[in-house]
Amino acid sequence: MRSQNPLGTVNALRSVRARNESAWLLPVSSPDVAERMRSYADDDEVDLVIVGCGAGGSTLAQRLARQGWSIVVLEAGPFWEPERDWVSDEAGSHHLYWTEPRVIDGEDPVPLGSNNSGRGVGGSMVHFAGYAPRFHPSDFQTETLDGVGADWPLDYEDLRPYYEDMEEELPVAGQDWPWGEPHSYPHSPHPVGGNGEVFLRGAENCGIEARVGPVAISNGRFGHRRHCIYRGFCLQGCKVDAKASPLITHVPDAIAHGAEIRANSTAIRVDVDARTGLARGVHFVQGGVERFQRARIVAVAAYSIETPRLLLNSSSPRFPEGLCNDFDLVGRYLMVQGAPQTGGRFEDEVRMYKAPPPEVSSEQFYETDPSKPYKRGFSIQTVSPLPITWAEHVAAQGHWGRELRRRMTDYVHWACLGALCEFLPLPGNRVTLDAEKDRRGMPVAHVTYSRGGNDKRLMKAAQETMEQILRAAGAAEVMTIERYAHLVGGARMAADQEHGVVDADCRTFAVPNLFLTDGSVLPTQGSANPALTIMALAARTAARLAAGARQGVRRPTEASVQQSE
Amino acid sequence: MTLPLPEHDGGGRFPGQRSLEQRDHWDEATSSLILSRVGRPPDVCFFNAEEEGIASAMLDQLVGQEGEPRVPLVNVVDARLAAGETDGWRYADLPEDGEVWRRSVRYIDEDSRERYGVGFAKATPAQQEAVLEAVHGLEGQWHGMPAGHVWNLWLRYACTAFYAHPWAWDEIGFPGPAYPRGYSNLGVGRREHFEVRDARPGEQA
Repeated sequence: MRSQNPLGTVNALRSVRARNESAWLLPVSSPDVAERMRSYADDDEVDLVIVGCGAGGSTLAQRLARQGWSIVVLEAGPFWEPERDWVSDEAGSHHLYWTEPRVIDGEDPVPLGSNNSGRGVGGSMVHFAGYAPRFHPSDFQTETLDGVGADWPLDYEDLRPYYEDMEEELPVAGQDWPWGEPHSYPHSPHPVGGNGEVFLRGAENCGIEARVGPVAISNGRFGHRRHCIYRGFCLQGCKVDAKASPLITHVPDAIAHGAEIRANSTAIRVDVDARTGLARGVHFVQGGVERFQRARIVAVAAYSIETPRLLLNSSSPRFPEGLCNDFDLVGRYLMVQGAPQTGGRFEDEVRMYKAPPPEVSSEQFYETDPSKPYKRGFSIQTVSPLPITWAEHVAAQGHWGRELRRRMTDYVHWACLGALCEFLPLPGNRVTLDAEKDRRGMPVAHVTYSRGGNDKRLMKAAQETMEQILRAAGAAEVMTIERYAHLVGGARMAADQEHGVVDADCRTFAVPNLFLTDGSVLPTQGSANPALTIMALAARTAARLAAGARQGVRRPTEASVQQSE
Repeated sequence: MTLPLPEHDGGGRFPGQRSLEQRDHWDEATSSLILSRVGRPPDVCFFNAEEEGIASAMLDQLVGQEGEPRVPLVNVVDARLAAGETDGWRYADLPEDGEVWRRSVRYIDEDSRERYGVGFAKATPAQQEAVLEAVHGLEGQWHGMPAGHVWNLWLRYACTAFYAHPWAWDEIGFPGPAYPRGYSNLGVGRREHFEVRDARPGEQA
């Protein structure tokens, strides 16, 4: 447990700053980036090129830049300037999402874009709600414990120190956490708004435990980060710099230590040397011009759809079915969480748009309950849709026209909860390349998704529990819609190459100097929002790389052994 | 400005709610964006003139707009389609969004002519509603496209365009942008000085 006394807090701040000074380097404005950021030539063979500047890529860059590595991060989207680029508005935040063409199908097609896909420096965390829970110890061995899903090639204990570091660096605010491995948070819980109040009251009335947090919004002094103003637009990018995203939590420190963040640069192919079997660098398109960045090590951190897409598009005579796809695993076991959303109507005004949507959560139903007709479980959290999203909720009930309009005038009376159900990894849920091409001529991702029986039973149970909580809080009417949240999987880690694309260090089995450091490596997803785990995994990979030194990751080739003799 | 929403459709619940009057408290980027929505609507360029008329009537029906003033939905949707500003995905059994819209307006017009002998744009509101309701209630295919997926796409575009408009916020009691001021009175039943109490809180949804 962390110390909560004042002296302990000061010491904790010092140690965070010694590890990652980002919060003290803010604000990072464009002149700083243009004039002070290091820039490498395509011909420079950098130590590491990373594809994607989100949760995984930024963390890896920050950690290894601190070790003196030369690093280029290729990011398809822009380098955001929050004051200029972000707005306090739903429709106006459209450019935060990955909106290039993608095709969805399956029995339960999963909408993408604003729902789960970001672009630009900071990645999806720019528009994530802000929940930053840990996974539970059981998540790492669901196959052994419950006979479903898959065991990870690492344990909770392997990630624990990185969870603790990340919770300090984001930082995370919340009450002492009783679920999974009990732990406390570095910042105390935020005050709650109407929606959080309703959840806490309803849960208490029906004997369900709920807690405030865990939310990656600083609550107290933390570098130059400003305090949350409780405006409720967390999903539109936090202009305040109160909610964490790598843009403010890891990128500033990475740049200060010599990393180049090359925005508006879309990776199209990872280049592998046919002779040595090692990755040589990444082909990318910037401003319509194709370029090639050489590197000694390549890390792909483009998330669960773009990472498989990039690998599949990087086929060669050695890898005819796509890079690292010898065992037909790339793109498979893609997961989303079932995220039913239940609204409850109160005569009092709830005004759920006030305060951050992430306020209160419960993990009481996270673990397998032998008395239930399903394995694994779900968590429940406050979600607080703004008007457009709420209109979609109402429209999903079949209302339209004047009836939709009439029901929308009731907006301020509704509270809203969302569940995260642990859907199981299935091989048929996958990313493939579509016949359609994007404006660069690269095949777009085709995403197929269907739920299994366990998934449907979980979704139903979660809905019933949320309706019970809202009714216990006094709701006269409830309405639930089915939706999905978060993406993980698509290039999972495993103990061996026949079951996974990468090992426990996120190194691909097929190419020794190629790493995948994003959510695509998760073998299972728990009922937790994935951001913290993605960052912790990337920080762990960075530590492993740093410990092995820059040479260490290469397998000596026959040629190099002969030369040295 | 207030949108003409009759009381039995929920109109008049937040008398005096005017999000635009708070514009001095908005940041510059947000302010210029919101003000552009109440300024001159963008010229229609994706739809041809005939398509524009049909699409406009369709969009108005989808969110129950009748009478002036109205949110210029067709201009907003047209601008999105012209810019290719999709939601970042499409159903595999539908073409691209722009093509779905072109086909939709053509087929809706055909449905209207077949049913009432008059094009959709000139049909009465009740006729228009009935034509749309027929698509809404359809389980399978509609002119070769899955009706449910088409309906979902129409509603997404219509709701996004409508509930992005400050006049629509006023009608539901939403005060709009909140940066840099934020909120200070959190909790059930608590309001800021610029939030208006619901005059008819007992009105059941």
